[in-house]
Amino acid sequence: MRVTDIGEMAIRNVKDLSEILKAAFPAAIKGTESPASNRLYVDVAAGAVKDVSLKLVSLGGRFQISVGYDDIGRRNALGYIQTFAFDGAGFIAALRTEVPVASPELDSVAADIPGADWPEREAADLLGLKFKGHPKPKRLVLADDWPEGIHPLRKDVPYNLIPPAAEDVAYRLDEAPPGTTVVPVGPFHASLHEPEHFAVYVDGETIKGCDYRGFMVHRGIEKLCQTQVTYNEVPFIAERICGICGSVHAAAYAQAVEEAGGMTVSRRAAYIRTIMLEIERLHSHLLWIGLAGHMIGFDTVFMQAWRVRERIMWLSERITGNRKTYGMIIIGGVRRDITPEIGDEVLGVLSEVEAEVRILMKSVIGDTAVHRRTKGVGYLSKEDAVRWCLVGPTARARGIRMDVRKDHPYAAYGEMEFDVPVADSCDVWGTVVVRFLEIFESIRILRQALSKMPDDGPLQTAAGAPLAPLKHGLFCVEAPRGEVIHYVITGEENRPERWRVRAPTYPNLQAVPSMLMNNQFADFPIIVGSIDPCYSCTDRVAVIEIGAKNKYILDRNKLEEISRRRKT
Amino acid sequence: MWLTSKIKQILMVLKPGVVTLKYPFEPRPAPENFRGAPHWDHTKCVGCAGCANHCPARTILVRDLCQDIRILFYDGSRCTYCGRCADLCPEKAIVMTERFELATGDREDITENLELFMLTCQRCGRCYDMEINNAIDKLDLKGYRYDSLKARMVVRKTSDRMDAELLDETENYQRPGK
Amino acid sequence: MRFLYSFLNWLIFLFCAPFFEGVMRRITARVQSRKGPPLLQPYYDILKLLGKESMNSTGHRIFNAAPMIAFASISAVAVLAPLGSRPGALASHADIITLIYLLTLGGVSVLLGALASRNTFAVIGASREMVTMIMVEPVLAMTLILGAVKAKSLMPVGAAFGAKTAGFGISSALMLVVYLLALQAFAGRQPFDIPEAEVELLEGPYIEYSGPGYALFRCYIMMKRMFYAGLFIAAFVPVIRGLPYVLGLMAHLAGILVVFVIISLVGATNPRLRIDQAVKYYAVLILAALCAVGLAAKGF
Repeated sequence: MRVTDIGEMAIRNVKDLSEILKAAFPAAIKGTESPASNRLYVDVAAGAVKDVSLKLVSLGGRFQISVGYDDIGRRNALGYIQTFAFDGAGFIAALRTEVPVASPELDSVAADIPGADWPEREAADLLGLKFKGHPKPKRLVLADDWPEGIHPLRKDVPYNLIPPAAEDVAYRLDEAPPGTTVVPVGPFHASLHEPEHFAVYVDGETIKGCDYRGFMVHRGIEKLCQTQVTYNEVPFIAERICGICGSVHAAAYAQAVEEAGGMTVSRRAAYIRTIMLEIERLHSHLLWIGLAGHMIGFDTVFMQAWRVRERIMWLSERITGNRKTYGMIIIGGVRRDITPEIGDEVLGVLSEVEAEVRILMKSVIGDTAVHRRTKGVGYLSKEDAVRWCLVGPTARARGIRMDVRKDHPYAAYGEMEFDVPVADSCDVWGTVVVRFLEIFESIRILRQALSKMPDDGPLQTAAGAPLAPLKHGLFCVEAPRGEVIHYVITGEENRPERWRVRAPTYPNLQAVPSMLMNNQFADFPIIVGSIDPCYSCTDRVAVIEIGAKNKYILDRNKLEEISRRRKT
Repeated sequence: MWLTSKIKQILMVLKPGVVTLKYPFEPRPAPENFRGAPHWDHTKCVGCAGCANHCPARTILVRDLCQDIRILFYDGSRCTYCGRCADLCPEKAIVMTERFELATGDREDITENLELFMLTCQRCGRCYDMEINNAIDKLDLKGYRYDSLKARMVVRKTSDRMDAELLDETENYQRPGK
Repeated sequence: MRFLYSFLNWLIFLFCAPFFEGVMRRITARVQSRKGPPLLQPYYDILKLLGKESMNSTGHRIFNAAPMIAFASISAVAVLAPLGSRPGALASHADIITLIYLLTLGGVSVLLGALASRNTFAVIGASREMVTMIMVEPVLAMTLILGAVKAKSLMPVGAAFGAKTAGFGISSALMLVVYLLALQAFAGRQPFDIPEAEVELLEGPYIEYSGPGYALFRCYIMMKRMFYAGLFIAAFVPVIRGLPYVLGLMAHLAGILVVFVIISLVGATNPRLRIDQAVKYYAVLILAALCAVGLAAKGF
């Protein structure tokens, strides 16, 4: 039993927290619900949301995500949920509230919790909630020429709407600090692998500021899965949210639905899920090491790391049938088995990969030229990292010991022994070291999982009865980039009523402008690369907007190309 | 330190050597259990449309052409090769082949079109007709979709039973917004 | 007859430089466990570029003229450069100051071309190129001056071979080390390929060029690299002198090949440095080069 003792009192478990809250806000708290020992749902009146949120943060909670949903049909209101993780005590608290749709106003917490900046802007764009006192109430997710007043996540907006474009609008970048020029990095740039726009303000070679405009690869996944597909088809779509960390999204979604529906999964299926998640972590970290090498101009590391990664892709192809989109996880279990023969094969590949990564590590970690490019670069102190609610290796490089596999164990991680590598250098070098060490920890977990896997047990467990609608469930999973959290509200018609995905790059990207300050422009790619950005994970909300007939012809063609919903 | 790590880096390369494969000048087959393009065995398919019900990409379309003939149409353009159709088929008529070299300029190369002659009921002598709302329909055809084959449009809304209005809407579907 | 040798010099530089670039790319690929492009790939690239359209987005004529100036300057350097054992016809008409001037002219033309466009990346690349030129050209100048001091003459042949006629000595040994350490900067490869860093600047100063203009710039870059490699062999490897012409030429080219192999190996195993880190490195090299010249002046 772990104790969080930041803050006024020690919070040991869910009961402690709910008593403290009820004592502090007797009128505002309308009720609490704790379906399991690691979940607490607190219903709050809309006016008190800010105070209760700040209280939770002062008690040691870490803001994770906020979810807005459309409850107009039932209660003529818009619902709003904020989740806070108490890593030390091992539970997650969700504050639920609702505002009437006629006056959907809430107080913004973004000034005090910088990590809440984007979630609030997103809810404002997509649902029409208004946040009073938000420091930067600009559009986040919708395109600049999306007309006002159409909020895609509301149920009356069809999922494939193409509204007429608004006229004469452009994104207003932040004011450049005096004496600087703007270097437009993006939407097309060699160091970025996906389209996004960083307007970097440089003075000579020093970066003095940065404004970010992203969300150009929206695909409308949340809206699609809330209106078109059924529960068991969503994991296949969830897997394609990201090209590198697909299984984590499928696993988080499946576990969130299982929690909401009260389903259990057999131990064997849990172990198989663990194995697939760790294989994915290996693959992702090797990919990142290659990319980091490429960003600092060291293409040999790039090629060699990706050569090692290729072994893992071939292994996945033999186990799951595909190099990357494993397609293994569905609600209730997994689809394919890991037989002892496959287990032996995995162990063989792991030994080879481990030997190669050791050689790679020795040659990279000892290289003083790499040190010069990564040490002291992208400095962000531990306090700032906590304020921005960073997750994953980016946070662990700043001395924050957090890992969802240890704090909120899921699948078979509760039975695994492993360490969480943490570095103190608060810069890009720390992320390099942490990720290398995590590779070895993953290999250790895989070996344990293969040896401890129970010999029998069903691969899939059926639900028994249709899932009751309007049940809330949430789940966090440790993706290679950090914590992924999915929030599911079960619905009718065999599909989720609301599904919110928050990828780890979402909070990490918000901190990038701070990391860039006063660094050299040449360090821009490696600093952005150090959070291991996965823009496809980050931009996945709202309706697909297939460009508009406006003056930016280039944008329209590009958007048409990347839009997946092509009609014949 | 610097020099030794450089020498180590060069030596690191000598062991694996050149790893470039000569594909496509040399074939490189996929391993077994690879999820390539699905293939229907028309002799085993009974026309239950379970695959159509569960395809996440909605790329398998079903239509009763007339009393006796049901068309099962796999339009591979949106297929994600997830393999759910093969998992679910009760007759094991769908096999995920090992074909992955599927790029083509002709759409017909990736479609499979089955025309199935359906069995008639022993009592009433007619085929199981999904255009009629009956109890069996309601039980089995959850999430059943109905699409316009000519326009190959995406299913807009799933429902748990066959609905004449929905059919109408699908046939006369206009994209909203303008 | 002597003119023929000069012309031959230029032809050899023009036609061998892409081959050496191909060797460099092949070796870099092998270090990266890849097969690498064919050795003749740079020739194909130049031919392809010559067939493309040249777009001038700036409106200035200097934008089109810059590649031509660069190519002309490096061709003049090629004619004057020592290759093999025989001096060129024009060698008596120019001295090392001319050589340094021509090389700097090439660099300035790159800057002119980059600054003519208003592309931010080109401007940043140009500023980095400027800084690199300011810091690296002195090392080259010192090498030539060292030879001049030893040979007591400013003629390029004398200067280049001066190191050997007057005896090797500590100063030459020091200069050799300095030149080797600066070789990556001369050649514009990792860790010093800062001006045209692909990941940060998308080709830097050359970003707006296409077609024949870009082909001329690439020829300029390749011939410049070959010149620096050739100067190293001519100045510090005593074998060349005294051989008959063809053999001397072959030996020189073989030496250049070895230098290119070293450049590629070092380039493949190093990340790119930042401009401020590189400047500190160059400053140390300049000081060492000055020491070498001072020692030579004292007679060591």
